Amino acid sequence: MTEATFPQCRIITERLLNPETTERLLNKVVSVAGVRRMVLNGPRLPVTIPYGPAKGQANPHPMRKNIHVGDQEIPLQVHVGTVLLELENKDVIPALQTAIEPVFTDFTFRIQEGRYMKTEPSLTDYCKYGPNADKAMLGLADPNSKSRPIILQGIK
Amino acid sequence: MAYKPQYCAGSSTVAANRRKAMDPAHKLTKLRDVTDKDIVLIMGHRAPGSAYKSAHPPLSEQQEPACPVRKMVTPTDGAKAGDRVRYIQFADSMYNAPCQPYLRSYLEAYRFRGIDPGTLSGRQIIECRERDLEKYAKDLVNTELFDPALCGIRGATVHGHSLRLDENGMMFDMLQRCVLDKKAGVVKYVKNQIGEPLDAEVKVGKPMDSKWLKANTTIYHSLVGSAYRDDAEAIEYIQRIHGLRVKYGFMPKEA
Repeated sequence: MTEATFPQCRIITERLLNPETTERLLNKVVSVAGVRRMVLNGPRLPVTIPYGPAKGQANPHPMRKNIHVGDQEIPLQVHVGTVLLELENKDVIPALQTAIEPVFTDFTFRIQEGRYMKTEPSLTDYCKYGPNADKAMLGLADPNSKSRPIILQGIK
Repeated sequence: MAYKPQYCAGSSTVAANRRKAMDPAHKLTKLRDVTDKDIVLIMGHRAPGSAYKSAHPPLSEQQEPACPVRKMVTPTDGAKAGDRVRYIQFADSMYNAPCQPYLRSYLEAYRFRGIDPGTLSGRQIIECRERDLEKYAKDLVNTELFDPALCGIRGATVHGHSLRLDENGMMFDMLQRCVLDKKAGVVKYVKNQIGEPLDAEVKVGKPMDSKWLKANTTIYHSLVGSAYRDDAEAIEYIQRIHGLRVKYGFMPKEA
């Protein structure tokens, strides 16, 4: 379970972000000390068409690319529109604001404080992870998903 | 005095644009020239140049029952030939798209014959005989009712109407049927309306600029366009309808 004391915030942008802009934004975010966890939110971009008459066919999409953040390569699975963040403390927010401001030259963004990630394990979490769940995983992805989080090393 | 239809209430530009779109006496401005072949490719129902498949023999070869209605109504070309019924579906962004689903159904009912429109919140489908459909689709794409960036021709997987636009100003499309060619500034369809890749790209023209979109949109939006609440006449009208509907059970009588 996530410690309730860790504050959360989210970065909302006026436009859905291109992969290049996402890469620039995330590199600015990881340069700020004090970000514990991060979720990229947005409409999904599947590799194959999941339903309809063309079900099963490949779905090439210019917004689904691999981006480099810190020392890791991240395959984007969504068209990023919101970035959810869990922080060490509230003092990180002004630093975050200053760091990411240069990324948004053509459109606006906003940082909102609130509770955006799961803080208690749900029944599905319990079914999937059991009583000794990895606390870092909760709220990061759908429990039915097989994907694992990407760990950005060497930030601290 | 002869009856004059009023089409839609409202004192704003949005309402005026809606009236223009619905009024069959108003000739829609042609803005782009997408060819018949391109329309056929985007819709993906038949190969361009191939014969129309039929659902029944032409009416002239059929023994039709004696029916006064059949005598009164002239069949459309597609019905005459016995074409299959096919569809085109549009998704329209709420960020100042020049047309929107409800309006599409209204205007098609006023302007076209032999159609079956289906309206949903973010998309609208129109079904009719294949050769009629191609004619109507050309009108819908080539005129002021369409914007390459904010209106999408989407048979399946239509999500995008209420989402933020992307950085290029295009409406979100999970299947990315159309892409913006940044160099030429032109939008190209690379997949047909159900998401199958096309052999050749189909160009549908340049996206309209934001000034044009704001002046020609038919959707209210308080942040990027004109707010519904600012349109006093539309509000008065909708409140009157709402009031009368609520009071209907009590036999409303107006003063």
